[in-house]
Amino acid sequence: MFFLLLIILSLSGIFFIKEILPESQTVLIDADGKPAYVLPFNEDKTVSVEGSEGKTIVEIRGKKVRIMDSPCRNKICIRQGWVETGGVVCLPNRVVVTIRGHEDNDRGFDAVTR
Amino acid sequence: MDTLVTITVVSRSSSDADEAIDKGFHEIERLEKAANFYSPDSEISQINTHAGISAIKVSSDIIDLLTKARYVSEKTDGAFDPTIGPVIALYDFHKKIKPVDAAIRKNLSLVNYHDMVINRDQSTVFLRKKGMLIDPGGIMKGYAAGRAAEVLKKHGIGSGIVAVAGDIRAFGQKPDGSPWRVGIRDPGAQEQDKVMATLELRDMSISTSGDYERFFILNGRRFHHLISPKTGYPAEECQSASIITTDGALSDAFATGIFILGPEKGMKVLEEIGLEGIIIDRKGSLHTTPGIRGRLELKNPA
Repeated sequence: MFFLLLIILSLSGIFFIKEILPESQTVLIDADGKPAYVLPFNEDKTVSVEGSEGKTIVEIRGKKVRIMDSPCRNKICIRQGWVETGGVVCLPNRVVVTIRGHEDNDRGFDAVTR
Repeated sequence: MDTLVTITVVSRSSSDADEAIDKGFHEIERLEKAANFYSPDSEISQINTHAGISAIKVSSDIIDLLTKARYVSEKTDGAFDPTIGPVIALYDFHKKIKPVDAAIRKNLSLVNYHDMVINRDQSTVFLRKKGMLIDPGGIMKGYAAGRAAEVLKKHGIGSGIVAVAGDIRAFGQKPDGSPWRVGIRDPGAQEQDKVMATLELRDMSISTSGDYERFFILNGRRFHHLISPKTGYPAEECQSASIITTDGALSDAFATGIFILGPEKGMKVLEEIGLEGIIIDRKGSLHTTPGIRGRLELKNPA
């Protein structure tokens, strides 16, 4: 999770921006188009999310993630098994599980010296 | 004078990080207050208003700042000179006013870092001649960035990057183990965030002096804020100079001094002292110290 806060100190003319990067990767679980969970990747945990068709169970263990159970018909998501990178989805139940590192800086740099 | 300060840290606890960052911001504010040229209450202003009159007792921060300023003045043979105040004051970058030659020559006689007397034992600073002015603009931001980073570390932050405008201090590594990466602004581009190269910054400070920061154009000639203490006019041999060292104040002051010295003399000074730097000369050609060559990732290699 990024926290960006802008604090304006108009008296001194100094504008501050603070940014906190999480140390570890996170697992994002979106259900029905909305964020449901943001969990640390390095902690074992099992959660249940409510999708459009019912409950999908997501398990995080040993820095891997899988969908353990889901109400969909074909159970393709369950057959995906454990993933270490990227993510896994249950389309019929509209559940999306993504593994995120620190935000990959697509600019290619963290600051500009000028 | 609007300054954008960005502090980015890596932390597992956002409340710890918040606290450390707040302390970092306060450090920058505190130093800014002490050194603000435009504020009559600052320590620097006290020194300035007592020029030719008396020595002023100042904080250890200001002694530290001005001692480093003097060191860089010596090493750049006066190309960086914190007593440049009276000459810079003649220029108005907002109203686009350039002083007449006679005014410049008159005020140049007040520019001489040898007339800035620092007494470490008494913690005082004295400017010998009336009318002398210390302008810490060429060293202040780098100094503040370095000090803020120290405060972050003192408050348990293991990795972070502090940017006070374009003066940057990085320490530690990013969450994935890679080092902080800094872009060097392309001096020829209009946009502030257009970079010509990137560089890893491993527990170092980087500062850049550029002819694009504060300037106006009059009759086709660019008047920017990096004024030569020898001529009283903007130095014209570089578009930008970026210096990398372990000390923020030194990287800032050397960036100013090396810019004014120009590519040949500047490179020589860097090599003599053993500092790494990148100079883009007025034609746009790149000059680098040997240690940087392999580390600079050019965006659009010519």
